[in-house]
Amino acid sequence: MTHLPFIAASYGLFVLLALWLSISATLRLRTAKRRLRALDAALAAPGVRP
Amino acid sequence: MTPAPSPHPTSPVPRPSAFARLTSGLHRLANPGRFTRLAAQLQPWLTVPGVLLTLAGLVWGLVYAPADWQQGDAVRIMYVHVPAAWLASAGYAALAACSLVSLVWRHPLADLAAAEIGPVGAAVTALCLATGSLWGRPMWGAWWVWDARLTSVLVLLFLYLGHFSLVRAFDDPRRGYRAAAVLALAGAVDLPIIKFSVQWWNTLHQPDSITLTGAPTMALSMLWPLLVTALGMSLGFAAIVLGRLRASVMEQRLRSLLLSRAGAGRRVAARTAGLQADTLDGRGEMVAP
Amino acid sequence: MTRKSRRLWLVGACALGLGSATTLALAAFRQDIVFFMAPSQLLAAEPAAGRTIRLGGMVVAGSLHEEHAPDGTPIARFAVTDGQKAITVRYAGILPDLFREGQSVVALGSLAADRSFRASEVLAKHDETYMPKDVADALRRSGKWDPRFGPPPSAASWNNMTAAARPATDRPVAADAPGAPAGRS
Repeated sequence: MTHLPFIAASYGLFVLLALWLSISATLRLRTAKRRLRALDAALAAPGVRP
Repeated sequence: MTPAPSPHPTSPVPRPSAFARLTSGLHRLANPGRFTRLAAQLQPWLTVPGVLLTLAGLVWGLVYAPADWQQGDAVRIMYVHVPAAWLASAGYAALAACSLVSLVWRHPLADLAAAEIGPVGAAVTALCLATGSLWGRPMWGAWWVWDARLTSVLVLLFLYLGHFSLVRAFDDPRRGYRAAAVLALAGAVDLPIIKFSVQWWNTLHQPDSITLTGAPTMALSMLWPLLVTALGMSLGFAAIVLGRLRASVMEQRLRSLLLSRAGAGRRVAARTAGLQADTLDGRGEMVAP
Repeated sequence: MTRKSRRLWLVGACALGLGSATTLALAAFRQDIVFFMAPSQLLAAEPAAGRTIRLGGMVVAGSLHEEHAPDGTPIARFAVTDGQKAITVRYAGILPDLFREGQSVVALGSLAADRSFRASEVLAKHDETYMPKDVADALRRSGKWDPRFGPPPSAASWNNMTAAARPATDRPVAADAPGAPAGRS
């Protein structure tokens, strides 16, 4: 394959970027869900009225 | 000002226009609960085909598509570079559309969507510039030239970065959203400049191989993997933006719940949930505890 | 008029103003945004000797002469044309991979007193055509296109050919049959 370093660098950049974007989005979504669930549970707990 | 006469004077109850129905549909999405439910249902339909088509297209382009007669295998950089370039412009068009909806209809979801499209679009634009550089060095003989196409795409990256920082520049997030929306709409003038730069001026960058009006000047054996990759990456882009937007809507609900609790002076429940109202910084943004 | 439609009109008016301002600005700087000048433009403009400019055009077939300086540096001489005028370019250095006769190039340098161009940098400009090597070979064999004399014919004329050309390259006997490699619908 000609120009292999340039091709590998391009595809590598894409893979890194795609992984970074999707992992960060997944983690952020998971954290937000967990916090929201915890807060909802705390608000619904007996003795605490919103 | 007096209300405009109804366009259908014969019908006693004028039907709402398509435009009014569209905007009322948009306003129903402003209900965060409804949005969260719909978006969660939509997410796998974007993520799964996005990942599969991108992988299929990239492997097709990298392994099975033929080498170009004069560029050799370096042409395979195209399967990353061209979809990234299309997405950079399409993402900005979406950003500008959200900004318009935000400025005119003050739709709360449009602000959040614009703020989430921005960083993803900036990343894709940076990828387009970087892969273009990696392609230009072996083919043209230069990493970078200041021709109209390259310069206008660099301006697009700066617009994305400017939007990103304006959203975060104010203590009151609404002022940040407003200022960023104005910038995004004004910057949309760059989109036709990017598109037509290769026709209006002499550039080192080639003219478009694929246009809406003419036949593509590319062998079908290279065109198909390119289109598959572009479709896959577009779905992937939408999936990432949707995921971030869902998180953003939840974070906003968290903030408002915590703020209302803090306003009521009851921090007990929040504390038991491992959260405190004072983990919010000046502009109501969540600070990692 | 509701506040919403007033805001819509306001945004529309701003967009119109900004759009026309940009159009006017781009039209005014049209000449300055150009990355390179074609030989006929360059000769018509008569730039001062020694002023750095970019010259763009196609390398004339048969015009490339390469030699080596005493220190081993390759020196290339070739003519660049836009179909109307041609300018001879002299360049000392290594030419890019894509450089060939019939290719578009952009040379950075200045016009000498004898109206030849002294380049300090030569970039290759590839066109918007993408085709596999076997298609290019088949086109050349069929005599429909010589890369030294300009861009290839439109893709519609050779896209159907790919299927016909591929078995021909696999089986050399068939390639010699008249018309077989160039099977064009």
